[in-house]
Amino acid sequence: MFRFFILLLAGLFAFSLNAHAKVDFSGKTITWVVPFKEGGGTSRFSRFIEPFLTKYLPGNPTIKIMHIPGGGAIKGSNYFQKNAKPDGTYIFGCSTSVIVNVATGNPLVKYNLSSYKPVLLLPQNTHWFTRSDLIDEAHDISKLQKRKLVLYGLKTPASADLFHIWVFDKIGIKGAKPIPGLSSSGAWQAFQRGEIHLNSQGAAKYIKNVKPQIEKGKILDIMTLGLVDANGNISRNPLAPNAPTFSEMYEKVNGKKLSGDDLEAFYSIAAAWSQASKSMLLPENTPDDIVVVYRDAAKKMVNDPDFKAKATKVLGPYPLTVGEEAGAIIKKAAIFSDNTKKQLNKVLKKHKFTYRVK
Amino acid sequence: MEQFVSAFFQLFELTHLLFLFSGTLLGLVVGILPGLGGTSGLALVLPFVYSLEPSYALAMMIGVLAPTTTSDTFPAVLMGIPGTAGSQATVMDGFPLSKKGMAARALSAAFCSSLMGGVFGAFILSISIYYAIPIIMAFGFGEQFLLIILALLMVGALTGENFIKGITACILGLIIGSIGSAPITGDLRFTFGTLYLVEGVPIVIVGLGLFALPEIVGLLDSKGAIAKALKNEKGWFRGIKDVFKNWFLVLRCSSIGCIVGALPGLGGTVVDWIAYSHLKQTLKDNSDIGKGDIRGVIAPESANNAKEGGALIPTLLFGIPGSGNKVLLLGGFILIGIEPGLEMVTTHLDLTYLMIWSLAIANILGAGLCIGFASHISKLTLVRYYILAPVMIVLIFFATFNINRDWYDFIGLLGFGLIGITFKAFGWSRPALLIGFFLSTKVELLSYQTQAVYGLTFLTRPVSIILIVLCFGTILLLLRQKFKQNYSASALKNKKSQIYYVLILLILPLLMISVISSLDYRASLYPVSLCFISIILLMVIFFVKIIDYNKHRLLKYSIVKFVNINIYEQNSGFNNQFFYYLSFIGYLIMNFIVGFPIASVIFINTFIIFHDKRDYKISIIISFVLLVVLWFLSHMLTLQFPNGLIGSLIDMPWWLGGELN
Repeated sequence: MFRFFILLLAGLFAFSLNAHAKVDFSGKTITWVVPFKEGGGTSRFSRFIEPFLTKYLPGNPTIKIMHIPGGGAIKGSNYFQKNAKPDGTYIFGCSTSVIVNVATGNPLVKYNLSSYKPVLLLPQNTHWFTRSDLIDEAHDISKLQKRKLVLYGLKTPASADLFHIWVFDKIGIKGAKPIPGLSSSGAWQAFQRGEIHLNSQGAAKYIKNVKPQIEKGKILDIMTLGLVDANGNISRNPLAPNAPTFSEMYEKVNGKKLSGDDLEAFYSIAAAWSQASKSMLLPENTPDDIVVVYRDAAKKMVNDPDFKAKATKVLGPYPLTVGEEAGAIIKKAAIFSDNTKKQLNKVLKKHKFTYRVK
Repeated sequence: MEQFVSAFFQLFELTHLLFLFSGTLLGLVVGILPGLGGTSGLALVLPFVYSLEPSYALAMMIGVLAPTTTSDTFPAVLMGIPGTAGSQATVMDGFPLSKKGMAARALSAAFCSSLMGGVFGAFILSISIYYAIPIIMAFGFGEQFLLIILALLMVGALTGENFIKGITACILGLIIGSIGSAPITGDLRFTFGTLYLVEGVPIVIVGLGLFALPEIVGLLDSKGAIAKALKNEKGWFRGIKDVFKNWFLVLRCSSIGCIVGALPGLGGTVVDWIAYSHLKQTLKDNSDIGKGDIRGVIAPESANNAKEGGALIPTLLFGIPGSGNKVLLLGGFILIGIEPGLEMVTTHLDLTYLMIWSLAIANILGAGLCIGFASHISKLTLVRYYILAPVMIVLIFFATFNINRDWYDFIGLLGFGLIGITFKAFGWSRPALLIGFFLSTKVELLSYQTQAVYGLTFLTRPVSIILIVLCFGTILLLLRQKFKQNYSASALKNKKSQIYYVLILLILPLLMISVISSLDYRASLYPVSLCFISIILLMVIFFVKIIDYNKHRLLKYSIVKFVNINIYEQNSGFNNQFFYYLSFIGYLIMNFIVGFPIASVIFINTFIIFHDKRDYKISIIISFVLLVVLWFLSHMLTLQFPNGLIGSLIDMPWWLGGELN
């Protein structure tokens, strides 16, 4: 019996080896479609991953990054949906804006994101901060809550910036008023000129531009979005360990724990905005054995000492998500529940935006 | 300072130099060909730079821009026609000198002063970068908004022959630029359900259409002046000596060039005249000026190269282009992911210094090449236009396809080409239209942002007041000078069609209002109010034209007189140009059917042989060489050619338009 068992195991092992061996990319060219222009975050992400992926995919295929910017990432994404073959020779470089287009029901979207097969997710996090003359001490927003006008930059309500409106609404900054049409760097410049009161940045800009000013005492931290793990636990951002997360701030302001509809909305927002900030996906209908090969390669890549050494500097201090749990996050991010949509539309209406999440 | 030096060494890496050098070569060529200038040259390069490293792309773009005002002296001196708008004043004394047999002296003096001016401009630019941070920080939303409005007003008033037509062209540009998704609400304006129009037509396509196509048909229509090549002329050394003798003049005119270049709307077109009149005013005895005085060459040439350095100041610091080619340069910045403004003097300081060095070195390189290979380069003026034109068109199509690999871009190209040709033929300012188009989104956003932060109080901030005074002062001063040169419009034959053209232009705002006025007010307010302004202006132009046409007695009133200045364009020849334009449409249709490579061969051969049957050998050689070059380029860029109908039916090799894999 024992012998039989061993044989069976060996057979299974051999079979699985065989199945893996079947997927071989030697001599092939893999096209990585990035629906943004060169030099952007997603482009940098894919260019950083590319050599490692070549190294760990069976057959060491050449990977060609193809930038198709335009239409708020819709053009390239639709192109991928139409042209990508589900045989492992096409990869999709996805980011928050690609997901938000789906989650908010943009009618031009022709790509079926929630059935793509995720390989790798790179989380990011948002830091909120303000000028030191506007609040008494870091993390204390009581003065901002009383202020009549609290201006902040907002690219367009049809982008991930929409979440700012919800966040400020939930922590009771009643005077919050968005200044439309400001890109992230435009808002940062306006903040430095003293024209807007609240600003937020991702990890890279936070370290480079904001931290030095915090040390000089010109800027004070307010909070971070917080990191959400697979079980839904929310932890503080290691880059600003003293700053409360959104959920802590919510509790402090509202006197109750983040729960119910608000928590549900927060999970969706965090998934789209933070957990799946940048990601690498395979087209829908990609056979499982190919998906497994990719995920294995990604796991090996994450453990590569060379990768580890460089990744923190290029991609930030957050752990990458590989494999099955990535799928759940993408689904959560791309499919907003009706309750969440209702919540977002409520704050949009409150701030007199005509745009609605569909 | 450290970055300043390291940028210098970075530039001297072989690849950087290579890109800078090839850019400079292209710049020299487009400068020599009359009509084509930096705008067309950049538009041709842009579709290819976006795949390069930012520093390579910058070196190449600056390389194209800098030497056009150096090499444009060739046609100015040899043929008496300016190579670009910036060398009109050079003709005044350069051509007489060449008739006296002193072409070499004139040319070498021009190149040498171009070099001095260009390097001086780069020097001033690098100094101004040093003081930039406080200036940028002083420019909030309100000040930026004013700066843009003032820039638009100046461009509109000064780049056209008639200032109301110029401002109207600006506003039409703003209207066209507002097509696409509304920045505040995300509503789709005037897109007719297409994804292509959501982001609007790419700026490169607009540039190629508005500038390159009209200049090419213009060249074809001009039939060519009597060209002549240099043959063993002497006097090269004398010209250089002339420049050093007049070093103070070079310094003064370079300073003028820098200052005028930094003011929007002036740079490209009038800086040479301003330097020329400065020369005239400061000389005790100016009786020789205009008859072949070498100083009449030195003054405009040092100014028109120095202006580039000055013009880059507002471009880099505020993202406000002062001329057509700066629009395209900014378009290139966007393509390679650089945002003008504070970052140019902080995080991207290395790139800024790289640009400054590129500017200086491209000027030196350009002048060096012009002097060293003068007799060879001057032969370019001998090339017959009907041979050059189809090659240019094929290159433009290739560039167009490389931008987005999108067939719609060709419709955009030919559409803007038609606008460009008619604008040129009927005397409407194309730079104004292009700058309006480019700045439209910014104007809309800034108007909302200013309103949200300041309300109307922004007008009372000190910087704002300075800006307003400066702007109106300059405009009044220049209008006075510029509109002294009024030509009599009574003899024009095509007045009627110019009147009809105003009515055609009215269609755009009217259609726009009817399509988008039902949208949310935050999406429609901006374009609709622009439409109303443009309708009023167009009506004014229409009625003044009618008054002039009928010689009505209202013409006596000075205000009508003032509006009427140069309201008709004197150049005609629209019909011929339109005929050439139609041949481009034919070429596009051939592209649809047989694919790009075969269509190009057919187009070039038919075009050349149609003009002169004896040139069939040339046309065959050219089309062969072109095929090889395109094949090489497409290999480098992994670009699949536009696939024609035939290509999808018959299996063809991919370099002939078949499937790639």
